[in-house]
Amino acid sequence: MIYSLLVLSSPFSGHCSRSAAQFAHCVIARGHTIHRIFFLDAGTLASAASSVSAQDEDTSLRSWSELAGQHGVDLAICITSALKHGMLDQVEADRHERPCATINPLFTVSGLGQLVDACASSDRLITFGG
Amino acid sequence: MDCVNIIAKDDALVLMGDGVYAALADTDASKALQDTDAKLYVMAADALAAGVKNLAVAVSCIDMDGLVALTETFPRQQAWY
Repeated sequence: MIYSLLVLSSPFSGHCSRSAAQFAHCVIARGHTIHRIFFLDAGTLASAASSVSAQDEDTSLRSWSELAGQHGVDLAICITSALKHGMLDQVEADRHERPCATINPLFTVSGLGQLVDACASSDRLITFGG
Repeated sequence: MDCVNIIAKDDALVLMGDGVYAALADTDASKALQDTDAKLYVMAADALAAGVKNLAVAVSCIDMDGLVALTETFPRQQAWY
């Protein structure tokens, strides 16, 4: 089956974001494919390129990176939520005259249309909230 | 707990995150959930992290593999948070 995920919660608050990443790996391990993971609201903070965690803390960024790098999963962040949370790619940084991009390049800034497309293209849409 | 107004006996409910506290035995929350006759599950890792051990008898523990298996069975998911 084809899955897509909607991630609403921040990776820095609670563990829903990490659970979503674990769920995604488990989906693939069971022989399914993941079409897209869409990050909305505080979920967009998962794309923070410059976030530094304590050495003894696990981070979900590595897990997302593996999904994109090894399994070709599309990691899409909502542009409106991303801008509010200071998550900008180079195009948006230039457009809004900010000094630098802040998102990991594995993530793509996109719109809600990509969430609608994910619903239409997938057998399952699973939401991970706050 | 708004979900008790919507959930039906053919549904499955998975408690995760702070929701695991509704799995505690002999609480108003777990009694309300059991009255729905839906199948009740709790994420084992989340319950362990929250120190929730005394589970209501109707609640089954599942891991992430079990959660994916449920999504294979049920075509639609509704999230409360």
